[in-house]
Amino acid sequence: MFLGQAGASLGLLWLGSMTPELLAQARAHAQSAQATGAKLYRFFTAHQAADFDALAAQIIPTDDTPGAREANVVHFTDFLLSGIDSDQQAQFTDALKALHDQAVKTVPGAKSFAALTSEQQIAAMKAMENTSAFGTLRGFVVTGCFCDPSLGGGNKDQVGWKLIGFKDDFYYAPPFGYYDAHYNEGKG
Amino acid sequence: MSTLPPQRNYKLSDKVDFVVVGCGAAGGVLARELSRNGFSVVVLEQGPWLTTKDFTHDEYMVWNHASLTNDFRKQPTTFRKTPKDKAVKQPALTYGRMVGGGPVHFTANFWRFHEIDFIEASKKGTIAGTGFTDWPITYADLEPYYTKAEWDLGVSGQAGASPFDPPRSKPYPLPPMPVKSSGVLFEEGARKLGYHPFPAPVAILSKPYQGRMACANCGFCMGFGCEMGAKSSPLPTMVPQAIATGRCEIRPHSYVRKIDLDANGRVTGAIYFDQSGKENMQRARAVVLAANGSETPRLLLMSKSNRFPDGLANSSGVVGKYLMFNTDCLTGGLFEHELNDYKGIEVTRVIHDFYEIDAKHGFYGGGGIDARFFFYPISFAQWGLPPKGPQWGKDYKKALQKYFLRSMYLAGHTTSLPVADNSISLDDTVKDAWGLPAMRVTYKDHPDDLKANQFMIDRSMEILEAAGAEDRWNYGVQESNYGFHLLGTCRMGNDPKTSVINPDHRTHDVPNLFLCDGSSFVTSGRGQPTETISALAFRAADRITGLAKRGQV
Repeated sequence: MFLGQAGASLGLLWLGSMTPELLAQARAHAQSAQATGAKLYRFFTAHQAADFDALAAQIIPTDDTPGAREANVVHFTDFLLSGIDSDQQAQFTDALKALHDQAVKTVPGAKSFAALTSEQQIAAMKAMENTSAFGTLRGFVVTGCFCDPSLGGGNKDQVGWKLIGFKDDFYYAPPFGYYDAHYNEGKG
Repeated sequence: MSTLPPQRNYKLSDKVDFVVVGCGAAGGVLARELSRNGFSVVVLEQGPWLTTKDFTHDEYMVWNHASLTNDFRKQPTTFRKTPKDKAVKQPALTYGRMVGGGPVHFTANFWRFHEIDFIEASKKGTIAGTGFTDWPITYADLEPYYTKAEWDLGVSGQAGASPFDPPRSKPYPLPPMPVKSSGVLFEEGARKLGYHPFPAPVAILSKPYQGRMACANCGFCMGFGCEMGAKSSPLPTMVPQAIATGRCEIRPHSYVRKIDLDANGRVTGAIYFDQSGKENMQRARAVVLAANGSETPRLLLMSKSNRFPDGLANSSGVVGKYLMFNTDCLTGGLFEHELNDYKGIEVTRVIHDFYEIDAKHGFYGGGGIDARFFFYPISFAQWGLPPKGPQWGKDYKKALQKYFLRSMYLAGHTTSLPVADNSISLDDTVKDAWGLPAMRVTYKDHPDDLKANQFMIDRSMEILEAAGAEDRWNYGVQESNYGFHLLGTCRMGNDPKTSVINPDHRTHDVPNLFLCDGSSFVTSGRGQPTETISALAFRAADRITGLAKRGQV
């Protein structure tokens, strides 16, 4: 039952209702931090932020188009984990520790995941890609890339939505796509 | 949050004619019908009263933070496969939790049951190990109320477009929604294989209707509230009409913990917590539970008394049993050109060629297949690509770019057999935020349900191929551990030993207690239960009104 699987997976991330007031406060905080250029993290240590940033940049790399870095994934995740997703801090910290441990396992003596070469990072990720820790980290990366940009500054400048071609224009008129535009030409 | 509309206010000490628990697909209808029929009505709804201004397209808040649904952190559930297993605390079901209920956030597929759904056991025979049996009412009994639901709520569709449709007394009030590219491709593939695709009937307005605006094709139906008010839930329809009678009060944030019973075996009202946590009791001459297929049995089980030590109206012992989720399955396909399927409503074409899967395949089951948009941007990146392909890295990024606009998904919706062990019960240890026993869900699909699911995956993959997909994938058959459709837990029947309510929706055990929602179902239908829940509510309102006016409640 695919819907159920998705629901249960989402369920692990569920927090419960966030009051509009708390959400507004959290958003105001995120905006003021951006406006003042503050780079301080509320949840991450510098080491954690660097490792998570490196991982995010491997999951959705920057090439001829923007990737997870340009989407502001690290600061957005910090916003979530210090606010509306604070009950997932332990789970996230454990997942980052698993990433660090895998980095050391892949390259003995490594100081951090971020300190590995790109090839070494990819090797470490392949070694743990089927773990729940990796799933936790990947979930936050894609959330930060593809969320509604009004939520805490993720998907900055809609770089994630532009990547896949999604727009949220609130109003569309048919035809919507190639096949319904050609519907009257005998297809279907 | 918006200000509530002015409405009649009753005192707790007022003995109103009816307390209705739950303001969703059934409760909203009952509120309007009973108040229009001259009765005083108080509706106790555990969720908030939102308006179109409160609805957003924020995928994370809606899907991950349960902004429109039951909240696992406050209302935990536990799950086990069989009664022998230890239940584990985990999310096990979702329901719409607000004034307007599930239809506020549903995808809006609005299918009637067919004639066979009510008489299937006598046509096909009983099935060992299940409670598979006929309904005590037929399609003909319910047909006028399906029509009423379609016209009073506002449903778009094309009568007669499916050769498998049951007879109907009136066409749909509104023409079908514009076909999307997924609908066109599905139609082409299905016709090549000899099937009969038809425009999806949906509770969404294709044109302005009764003072409401038409759909703007924004694409945010599944899981979201409609900021146009174009989705035909009770929220923009039944609720204001009930209020307008001057006889109905809707109280949001009212979480009912017990239905009170007097020494004569009659219910006297509902005891509930208000938003501040204060306990109140609303007195009433009769009570109607329409709290959904999980909360209605839970409330009965919590309402124990000397007369009913196993739960109110549970002399049969079947309250909470025969839970049915409807199985579902998903396949995907990539096409040459852009479909842009995120625009427009989710589903525009359906087939019912497998409504009854031929018995020669060796199992019981059936259902429908539709073509749809399924993954909003976050969930698309999580799960929308072929599972065997890259899930991170530069090739993943390329696939995200390539697949989003050019993919569609086929969803299969199928039967679930009623099995007594599949149930809602009270957890022994876990409590909710109000200190009440958490809901314990026990569920294991009948083997035939999983076979029907695999059958639908196989047919879907063939349709995608016939439609010319460059790439096709599926997500396999998964055993259910999570429910969206909550059916069958207080089943209707003529025998008080094997059912909870009679065909008038009156409990066999308590003369002034009625139940009407997904819990009333005897069999599961084919995966789109909401129109039947609404039709049952229109019919129940007629039956209850007749009884009350004859002094028989």
